[in-house]
Amino acid sequence: MPAYILGISALYHDAAAVLLRDGVVVGAAQEERFSRVKHDAAMPRRAAAWCLEQAGITAADLDYLVFYEKPLRKFERILATSVATFPRSWGSFPRQMRAWLGDKLWLRTNLCATFGVRSDRLLFCEHHLSHAASAFYASPHEKAAVLAVDGVGEWATTSLWRGDGSALEPVSEVRFPHSLGLLYSTITAHLGFAVNEGEYKVMGMAAYGKPAFRQELDRLLKLDPAGGFELDLDYFSFHYHPTRSGSPALEALLGPPRFPGAPFAPAVAPGDASAQQIVESQRWADIAASAQAQVEDAMLHLVRYAKGAVGTDALCLAGGVALNSVANRRVAAEGPFAHVWVQPAAGDAGGAMGAAMWAWHAVLGNPRQPPLARMDLGRVNGPARSSEMLTDLGAKFTEPADPGASAAAELADGKVIGWVEGGDEWGPRALGHRSILADPRSTEVKDHVNARVKYRELFRPFAPAVTAAAAADWFDIPAAAAEPARWMLSTAGVHEARQATIPAVVHVDGSARVQVVDPVASPAFHQLLVEFNKLSGVPVVLNTSFNLKGEPMVSSTVDAMASFVRSGLDVLYIDGLRVERPK
Amino acid sequence: MGQLRRAYLGPISEVAWRLPGWPTRLLAAFSLAERGSMLDMLAAADATPRREMRRKYFLHALDEGRHAGIFASRVRALSPPGNISRAQAATEDAGLLQGHGIVAGETLFARLGEMDFLAFVFVAEADAVEQFHVYLDRRLPDPDTTAALRDILKDESFHVSYSKLECDKYRREGQPIDHAIRLARWRRVKEGWMRFTRDFGERMSGVWLLVLYFLVIWPFRLVARLERGGWQRAPARPTSALAAARLEG
Repeated sequence: MPAYILGISALYHDAAAVLLRDGVVVGAAQEERFSRVKHDAAMPRRAAAWCLEQAGITAADLDYLVFYEKPLRKFERILATSVATFPRSWGSFPRQMRAWLGDKLWLRTNLCATFGVRSDRLLFCEHHLSHAASAFYASPHEKAAVLAVDGVGEWATTSLWRGDGSALEPVSEVRFPHSLGLLYSTITAHLGFAVNEGEYKVMGMAAYGKPAFRQELDRLLKLDPAGGFELDLDYFSFHYHPTRSGSPALEALLGPPRFPGAPFAPAVAPGDASAQQIVESQRWADIAASAQAQVEDAMLHLVRYAKGAVGTDALCLAGGVALNSVANRRVAAEGPFAHVWVQPAAGDAGGAMGAAMWAWHAVLGNPRQPPLARMDLGRVNGPARSSEMLTDLGAKFTEPADPGASAAAELADGKVIGWVEGGDEWGPRALGHRSILADPRSTEVKDHVNARVKYRELFRPFAPAVTAAAAADWFDIPAAAAEPARWMLSTAGVHEARQATIPAVVHVDGSARVQVVDPVASPAFHQLLVEFNKLSGVPVVLNTSFNLKGEPMVSSTVDAMASFVRSGLDVLYIDGLRVERPK
Repeated sequence: MGQLRRAYLGPISEVAWRLPGWPTRLLAAFSLAERGSMLDMLAAADATPRREMRRKYFLHALDEGRHAGIFASRVRALSPPGNISRAQAATEDAGLLQGHGIVAGETLFARLGEMDFLAFVFVAEADAVEQFHVYLDRRLPDPDTTAALRDILKDESFHVSYSKLECDKYRREGQPIDHAIRLARWRRVKEGWMRFTRDFGERMSGVWLLVLYFLVIWPFRLVARLERGGWQRAPARPTSALAAARLEG
């Protein structure tokens, strides 16, 4: 009789469910892909139901259901922080207590009722332990230093663990309110982007600026000689204010915040902006560049401490900050570790995987399983279902003999295509299963895809996907970043001689968030790249997530069709079927 | 149109659309509601066992998505230049969807089943048509928005007709569709009341918690301290992982 463990993350953001059968992932899915609400925090009923369906079991067959954090300890932190910041916390206290007393405090009952499991099957894993486990147990490394860096869990905001076989031991932690993740989120909010959503945009914006505000930002964050860090809380209000993360002192230091949606026209790409808009935009870009440089330096500081404290060759990273691909590149290139592995769903969704894996290894005492080799772990539509759906929706479609070759020919012809194949990606990156693809050789394609296909900000860069065989010819990927680059978790330099060939995927600073595609992890996508190379001599395509602004990545055939029709995509490939754009 | 509904909707609209800042708030609320409807209709298209309905739900969803965009663009147009209203931010931030009545976890279609879902669509769309007619009759709130409403009204009228035809089919089959329609009307009233009582309850509980905060919390402030920065030794944990996993849930 196999053992089944369901990991659940929920109630903050990026709710997810992951099912293990004898320690091996059967299915991993984020609730947002089902509910279509981006970063959906609600209990992942549908994601969990899908996982159970994959295994052909019901909730009654589960050995354990593991929640990814300890709600009572989190409540303790919230209460203690409210008390310690009295009376400034008067606005946040009623809100927090209402949320907790009304719902979150009764999580045990809630989980049992929602998922239909008995109370004695419920386990709770610490938030940072869930992150650490998601990185260590899914990695190929038997021994590793494991670093989790995010906003906050229960108390820890940064934690270091020693991983050895199936054991994961705590080493040390930095505690709330001193948080790298919340520092970056505060700058994200200052730059007019939504917290937990706009951090990528800050990273993209940073490339347009210079770290001219570094001195100012160094007042916010002090790196201590013992390898840790501390925030100057005078510049922050996230620990007592219900909606604001920066304090008035931060505004005095950095200048007025950017209004959400304000046009961004830095000096290198001014467009038809006024002189004042250019000056303002440059200030925002410089703040972004300063914050980015600061978080990179802080990450390097932390990993050097980790090397000293744990002393392994490998480093595993998780937590929202581990999605900062630019920082990951510096950690790999300049850090002391020979190997770096990053959990592809490094944010809270990954906590569901970590919680389940921790229960399998640490609670049940089982040995390690093979590392995660593929990330298409979510919902699969399949050709039969897609064909039936497309017929019912009245779509005109054909079944090309070689979809990869057909799609490659259309890309070479300048078309922008939607590409849906196999299961949903695990984590926030489109890895060739729910992707929008275009020819990277065109200079106009970046603006076209941003403005007419995805309806998003023009300054945001696009990522290249390259065949594993050709990666080194085109990109400068640090040896330690080989694994993160498979899952688009590290940036790389684009060789100078190649930059002019693929301008659509080279960011303004000459870097790219590359995905190295191998035939095992993504056979169909790899085949498409090979075919495109045959036609163009370029083994690279532009790859961005298949979603429209403000929406999660498409998942089902119906979602894909709806986004296809509402966007400026030329053609859609879905499970080997070629769908024409309706007139 | 129900006389009672017209009697209160007209004067309320006259006031609401003229309050400072309210046009953008109302339009933002419409945009989010339309976006929520789009998700409901897409979920129905995905889940319906009646394959002939799939395309209808899908096209309906596309209309709702378009309407959400039209309302959002009106919010942008009416927001002060160089600034952004909270309403505008709401239409551009999908994260706020969760705060706007979309019940996550189970789709409307899954909750109601096909017949009740169609009855709900018919009632909701008919109500929207009535509501938009009131605005148009009173030329509210401005000529450009009125033109946009007129455009949307064509689609909404079509949604009423197709859902009515589907309801008629159920009636011919002897299904209790009239009961479902009455239930849908009652459900809308009940949900409106529930929203009001929830908001009211939240405000009242907020007041009481604030009183508690100032009366009870402050003495503890004398001993409470925020954590210091830097690395700290990880707290001790029970030696049994299973025991640890059962704690603090």
